[in-house]
Amino acid sequence: MTENHIVLFDAIKKIKQIGEFSGSIISKTFDPQNYVIFSDSINISDDEGIIISEGLQVGFEEIFNEVIAFSRKNQYSWKILEEFGLDEQSLEYSILIPEEIMQLYDEGQFSDAFPFTINMLHTAGLYLKNYRTKIDHLNFFKGEILKNPVGLLANGGVCVADRVAIDHRADPVFYDTILIGRNKDDELDASYEPLLNVKIDDKIITSIVILGIENLKE
Amino acid sequence: MNLAILLYENRKAKLLNILKIGINPFKKFVSTGEIEEELGLVQSRENLLNVIMNTFDKDENIILPIIGGVGIGKTHLYWSLKKRLHFYNTFYISLENVYRKFYYNMYSEYIEEMGGGEVLRSITNKLCSEWGATERKFGFFHIADIDKVRKSAFETLKSNFDNKIALNDVINAITSHQLDPFKRVEAERWLLGELMDIRDLSHLNILYDLKRKSYAFTMLKIIIENSELRSVLFIDDFEKIVSIMKGDKKSEEIFDPSWLYGEEHIQSPESRSAQKALDKILDLQKIRGLRIIITLKSIDALEEIKTIIREKNNQLLATMKEPIILSNFLENDIFQFYKENMKTFLKNNNYLEFFEEFPDSYFPLSEKILKYIHTCSQGNPREIIKFFIKIFNEIIFSNNNFDNILTYYENQC
Repeated sequence: MTENHIVLFDAIKKIKQIGEFSGSIISKTFDPQNYVIFSDSINISDDEGIIISEGLQVGFEEIFNEVIAFSRKNQYSWKILEEFGLDEQSLEYSILIPEEIMQLYDEGQFSDAFPFTINMLHTAGLYLKNYRTKIDHLNFFKGEILKNPVGLLANGGVCVADRVAIDHRADPVFYDTILIGRNKDDELDASYEPLLNVKIDDKIITSIVILGIENLKE
Repeated sequence: MNLAILLYENRKAKLLNILKIGINPFKKFVSTGEIEEELGLVQSRENLLNVIMNTFDKDENIILPIIGGVGIGKTHLYWSLKKRLHFYNTFYISLENVYRKFYYNMYSEYIEEMGGGEVLRSITNKLCSEWGATERKFGFFHIADIDKVRKSAFETLKSNFDNKIALNDVINAITSHQLDPFKRVEAERWLLGELMDIRDLSHLNILYDLKRKSYAFTMLKIIIENSELRSVLFIDDFEKIVSIMKGDKKSEEIFDPSWLYGEEHIQSPESRSAQKALDKILDLQKIRGLRIIITLKSIDALEEIKTIIREKNNQLLATMKEPIILSNFLENDIFQFYKENMKTFLKNNNYLEFFEEFPDSYFPLSEKILKYIHTCSQGNPREIIKFFIKIFNEIIFSNNNFDNILTYYENQC
């Protein structure tokens, strides 16, 4: 358990906080689905399980043998099994980002330093590498800045940033980033990084989805 | 080999040599709102600043009259006040120069005093946050719905503003500045008070730039009320407005409108615009937290202004405080003033050693001459400076012996 009690649910560490929580919440399902769900509230109870009444689900899905990125607004719910279900459909964790981190994130968002940022209209996959699929558009966007990237980390973590720049080596550089990950004891924690340099060959990041502005507005 | 050791230096002669280069320690006898005054206030006036600051602390919206004759140091007081009021935006308007486009000029001065774009950006940012621009969708994403933010801003502010069209356009400019990357540059130019052509204005979907009275007033109200610092407006030469309103009877006109409309109801264009300027100044009381200082030459002028205000709206007089009277220099003040001025002069000429050696000296003048100047000028600071300029010019430029010049003035006493 980390400071500020930000972990609301963790199937691996068997943590569940009963109650209704609001704020900035990131939830993630187990591998290999690895869906990330952003929401401003979550309800956790023994009777009804975990309910996110309105969340934005982000990930990759396979449609007619083609893997494509998506973001979808919906209601989500999971039953909490006594032994904490560990199948691919179930929720791995839900974490409430502390307000002080969100304030830093907000301040970074209004920076005038990056006026020429590309706002994608529809959600698209920038990068995905797993044992079945490889999508890599990093070269195409070399030298560009893209708004609202969501990355999945190899250790089960998530990184959500205000923008990502693709440098001359086609490596992503995230700006104004919230990072969620597990430490060596598998405990979840959240942190804020104004700048996060990632070498794609280091395999720290397994996928990057760029959220479309139209999908967010829907 | 020549080896010289300096055993004695005639520092007074050296000071005279510096003066002989042609630099008069006393140059400026009229203070203006544009050129900063280096010297502080003399001792007898120090307490004035405390009185003014206490008055500011007690009330948010006041008009504080400061009364003093010509050359008494009213404008100089502005600079001293500005230096002392660290947590205020203190800005200056002289009615001698500005009574047309009053709000626009006032806005330009205020923006300059605030420090321009940087502070303006932080205020518009803060305003947009208050109007809901930082609302996070799904807990994270700022998808600012500009129309929604504008609507929320209008609902929040509409009860405090009479001119709704101006308010709507000002909100348009502020929200475009923060939330619309395609209009940000034009919006910033508009907010900084630049005059804009119809193409830029239509791009921003705004009717007028800030030269429009109601637009400049709305912006002033919003910016001043949301500034981190408190605000003080120093209006110099206030009685000018009364003199213009009365009109110059002696001036000849090719067409005298009284021939057509009768003597009583005729106002010259000048007088009419002065009347409008007064109305605008009185309207400034609607801006929460704006403290106003006005300077006048006499109590009579103040009474005259009070009468005019009373005729317009008696309630406005409630915010007018008891006047502060600026009196002439006391005898001790002239000594302090002279020494401070000479110290600045010597510092600028890298010769402060003179003061270290002669801390109590009034060289090149003498105590007797300073007393003579005080008596002749009746303690009026501007007259005192004029005397200093005259005497120093004689020391610097005349062919008379220095001792003879001193003796001449000492014998005048």
